[in-house]
Amino acid sequence: MQDVGKVRVRVPSTIKAGEVVRARTLVIHPMERIERDAKGQVIQKKYNYITKLTATYLGKQVAVFDTTQSVSENPFFAFAFRATDPGQLKVTFIDTHGGKYEGTADIRFS
Amino acid sequence: MEGMTRREILGTLGVLGAAAATGAVTVGVPGPATAQQPQFGQQESVQDAMRRLFGARPIKDAGGLVKLDVPLIAENGAVVPVSVEAQSPMTPQNHVKGIYIVADKNRIPVVTHVALSPEAGAAFMGANIRLGETTDLRAIVEQSDGTLLQVKREVKVTVGGCGG
Repeated sequence: MQDVGKVRVRVPSTIKAGEVVRARTLVIHPMERIERDAKGQVIQKKYNYITKLTATYLGKQVAVFDTTQSVSENPFFAFAFRATDPGQLKVTFIDTHGGKYEGTADIRFS
Repeated sequence: MEGMTRREILGTLGVLGAAAATGAVTVGVPGPATAQQPQFGQQESVQDAMRRLFGARPIKDAGGLVKLDVPLIAENGAVVPVSVEAQSPMTPQNHVKGIYIVADKNRIPVVTHVALSPEAGAAFMGANIRLGETTDLRAIVEQSDGTLLQVKREVKVTVGGCGG
């Protein structure tokens, strides 16, 4: 997949100052499952999956997800934050192969 | 170490040693094989997982305080949308510190954990998870004072999605 690492961040189109808003984020990632051989033994290898997702707003961490292989392919996450000032919401995904994928959304008040 | 008797110190060391031998403790035991391994991605039974995460801390039934939103029947176990919402004022003194999602029958039962800060404004999280088979799904909410609240729901899975 050439799209691996593409991050999408969605926030509501109209946000009022001080409001608690929900953001949704998604990364294109295979999230490899544990594989087994014919005998049912787990194949030992370094599986590539997302282990961490950090969401920061105005430089402050609002939510940190620790994730495992029990999370779906192309993982989707949602979280809330209080929109106090206009600024940037930044989401960073980290996988086991050292990949770091970032996505941002600008928070503007209407 | 002041104030500890020799007996207590030896006792603690013994417990740690036994735990390390069975692999129950991953924190603070930086073995060469587990150094890269994240704390969560382990194959274990749900009892082991709960013991590892929470020890002997009591887990209360959340009642109406925590809302776990998950389909009753998940046709495709590979993608099951889950969301958890807890009622909390989210002030620095009293907020929800973290939310765990645990699927009892998954080979890796601890699905995800989110650490929240008071800036979040609301104790809410959502994720798409995998479920291997029909299972109980738990959402465990950890509050800033250390209280643990649990909600449990059964999810029927038509086609399992874990593979592993």
